[in-house]
Amino acid sequence: MPPAMPPQLWPMRSDLTRERLLTLLERMWLIRAFEEKASELYARGVIGGLLHLGIGQEGVAAGSCVQLRRDDAVFGSHRAHAHAIAKGVDVDKLMAELAGRATGYCGGKGGSMHISAMETGFITATGVVGGNIPLALGGALAARRAGTDRVSVVFFGDGTAQSGSFHESLNIAALWGLPVVLICENNGYAEFTPLSAHTNVARLAQHADTYGIPNVTVDGSDVVAVYDAVAAAVARARAGDGPSFVEALTHRLRGHYEGDPAKYRELSELEDWKQKDPLARYVGYLEQSGVISEDGAESPAAERAARQRVNGAAERALAAPFPDPSAVATQVYAG
Amino acid sequence: MTVATIRYIDAINSALAGEMKRDDSVIVLGEDVTLGGPFGATKGLSEEFGDDRVINTPIAEGTVMGLAAGAAMLGARPILEVMFIDFITLAMDQLVNHAAKLHYMTGGQAVVPLTIRALCGAGGGFGAHHSQSLEAWFLHVPGLKVVAPSNPADAAGLLRSAVRDNNPVLFLEHRGLYWRKAEVTEDAIPVPLGMASVARQGGDLTIVAVSKMVEVALAAADDLSDSGIEAEVIDLRSIVPLDREAILASVRRTGRLVVVHEAVTFGGIGAEIAAMAQEHAFAHLVAPVQRVGAPFAPVPASVELEKIFVPGPDDVIAAARRTMTAEGVR
Amino acid sequence: MLPDLRPDLLVEYLRRMLVIRRFEEGLIKLAEGRDIGHFHVYIGQESTGVPALALLEDGDLTFTTHRNHGHLLARGVDPAAMYAEILGKATGTNGGKGGTLHLASAEHGFPTTSAVTGGCIPLATGAAFGFSRLGRDRVSVCLMGDGALEEGAWHESANIAAMESLPIIFLCENNSLEALGQKANEYPSSTMAASPLTELAAVFGMESVAIDGADSGVVHDTMAAAVVKARSGDGPIFIEARTVRWPGNRPLWPQLLTGETDLTMAWDESAIPEEHGRWHRAEDGLLAYIRGLLAAGYVDERTVTDIDAGVREKMSAGVQFALDSPYPDPEAALSGVFG
Repeated sequence: MPPAMPPQLWPMRSDLTRERLLTLLERMWLIRAFEEKASELYARGVIGGLLHLGIGQEGVAAGSCVQLRRDDAVFGSHRAHAHAIAKGVDVDKLMAELAGRATGYCGGKGGSMHISAMETGFITATGVVGGNIPLALGGALAARRAGTDRVSVVFFGDGTAQSGSFHESLNIAALWGLPVVLICENNGYAEFTPLSAHTNVARLAQHADTYGIPNVTVDGSDVVAVYDAVAAAVARARAGDGPSFVEALTHRLRGHYEGDPAKYRELSELEDWKQKDPLARYVGYLEQSGVISEDGAESPAAERAARQRVNGAAERALAAPFPDPSAVATQVYAG
Repeated sequence: MTVATIRYIDAINSALAGEMKRDDSVIVLGEDVTLGGPFGATKGLSEEFGDDRVINTPIAEGTVMGLAAGAAMLGARPILEVMFIDFITLAMDQLVNHAAKLHYMTGGQAVVPLTIRALCGAGGGFGAHHSQSLEAWFLHVPGLKVVAPSNPADAAGLLRSAVRDNNPVLFLEHRGLYWRKAEVTEDAIPVPLGMASVARQGGDLTIVAVSKMVEVALAAADDLSDSGIEAEVIDLRSIVPLDREAILASVRRTGRLVVVHEAVTFGGIGAEIAAMAQEHAFAHLVAPVQRVGAPFAPVPASVELEKIFVPGPDDVIAAARRTMTAEGVR
Repeated sequence: MLPDLRPDLLVEYLRRMLVIRRFEEGLIKLAEGRDIGHFHVYIGQESTGVPALALLEDGDLTFTTHRNHGHLLARGVDPAAMYAEILGKATGTNGGKGGTLHLASAEHGFPTTSAVTGGCIPLATGAAFGFSRLGRDRVSVCLMGDGALEEGAWHESANIAAMESLPIIFLCENNSLEALGQKANEYPSSTMAASPLTELAAVFGMESVAIDGADSGVVHDTMAAAVVKARSGDGPIFIEARTVRWPGNRPLWPQLLTGETDLTMAWDESAIPEEHGRWHRAEDGLLAYIRGLLAAGYVDERTVTDIDAGVREKMSAGVQFALDSPYPDPEAALSGVFG
């Protein structure tokens, strides 16, 4: 058994600057506004396919990604809009991609589950559970081989922890000491089933223990706790000290995908978590710490700016052309 | 440039070393590759290039395929060895859903310069899990390229091209060809992907063959020649991209086509080639297209059954003769 | 130590261990100068397979790997039919179609052998799932190696087995203790960051234990408890049985590096050669078992050599049967594709 991680490697209070604190707020609002808009467009039939929203999971995305460098690589799951936005993608191109327009990041060919914005370091999302973890490992290997200190960060859900690729990946990441941060967003549900029906394992970070990977379980709707945990993990990876595993306990406020009424969840469970809305909690934290004044203007201003940005993106997406029919069979191969 | 008579497996080994020397981003991964692998394809590479570039992986085919694809996307140029193509089944998600589709899905942003070397084919009675020919599955995946060299020179030349190509390329090595010797020029110009070669010229019929069946086709052609039938043998070399023009040009001249592959006939690549021929050279065909392949069954372990299972020159000769005497021949 | 069983049963276990040992030695000799494809032998692991599988009953299923000969022989499959199958003859267990890598005997509870590392784990788990859902008090035994733990299939199956409290015993024979960091040209084994291996099962809340696979007594005790537990619906268990890898199993193809086992080494120190002395003296579980029986007075030297003589004769007859048997008819290549 590997030794337990000494607590000081997971600092619980960070040295976030006011600027960074406010950036987190803005970014979380941008994610919230975007997801709500996407939901609306989906209901109107503008966005098709399957749409997996991260409303209620903004804390993990923002807390993790805002601190990364542009050249750090992020790999998302099927529920990846938040992470892409947190990494700094262009919201216009993101919205256009969801709407299947030619102006989208992937020319309309990827859609919600295959977002890629490589220029920002958001490498790809994937629709296959567990599909992104091996890719992230490879990214980490390549970064190290090239002599850089770039880090790979990969996000996946609690349902992924039961898949074979999860196990194989933890083993290889540990064996090879790869500079990767594995972030498990445990929202208690894998599709429509509670986690307890998928596995006996109560705390998914226990799997990291098995392979001797340093790990921590944090409250995912505490964006500062997430920020701190990931900061320590990123520092370790950059220093060449290998992989880390962060389990963020969080909750989906909507169904598995749009259209899923989530009858399978207890209403009371939902009410309890609404009180743990990461955005609301964070505003409270900022007020308590004196970063913003009570009933200050910062949060409403951030919300307004976010909604304005997103509404503009939606308008531009709707006005953008669809891909030309000739595009259907282009870019199958690279030159 | 030095020319030497070497074995197919040595040609691969030397091409791997050559590409690794030439391009620092090339890395080799796979099970037991630091020890040379089960047949010695990667022998000596670990000593020459170090653990940093020749990497032993655990037995976790799925994740290793994805890892190779991810590394390819972010600056490495990996060459992954799949010990037996039968085990590629464990890596199908990463190969088919991810590696092959990332360039398209991301609208061209992701580039995946990944080479996958897979050992294929029957012989020696290894049984159903160590003997398959599965190229038909991969011909069907847009975004993948598939090549299958039949001789040492092409093995080296195609491998170099595969490694330098910016797409996922499945490089199929028939293990029964490993010990074949032929002349290979070191550092020769790489063989382009998508270009077939005419292994034997002839005017009476066209035999299209791939991988180990090329030598079978040539043996059949020699026999047919004794009866005054001159067969043209086309070595496909690439399955995707398929050299349609080479095949059609020959068929338009000879009017007769036999396609031979070791894989099961039903649903094999011969079906695609036959369909293409009748679609684009119907007016030139004087007989139905014949396909020669394995029967519709898993590969049996018993060597005597395996001998019947795998197509041989007699099967090709019989098919050729059928094209010479087909009913309704114009 | 010896299992706590009646002497006559212990002597029967010796006979079974000798069957495996002489079968495998005979196979290696048979392969010399003949192309019989790649195969894997169970020499050095008889002390695990024999006492463990002796505890199974009719209807219990065993799923195994490429290193399967010892398992089938331990459950009573006819050595002659196995030799025939390995040579691809029509009289083989699988009619010549499976070969060594796919040996099966439904009659003896072996639905199949998979040649894919980890290939049988989901199948074994599924069988246990069937037993559980259909209310049958049978046990599924998944025989696997340490390498299989690297496969995702292990993780997925172990999770489900634990969740569903399935009647499955994962018997993991770790014969790689000395294989880590081996020199080039020696066949390697697993690459696994988890340590100890039992953690890979324990994380799911599955009972998980590591034992000395060369100690038949411990193997017996552990397996006996596992079978009771599984049969009574109390869930799965993971057993890591460790043995030192037989020297002849280090090269890519098995070689008789320690010669045909000279049983007198069990009682005559001077018979032990310098080369591989440690193997004969301390690591070969078969010789240790014989020493145990002698010490307990359950056999004398004569009995051991008599039993051995009988076994060797049977193996020779089996080899001859296989050599004399016909190959399958060509039509057989196409039969049995579908049920």
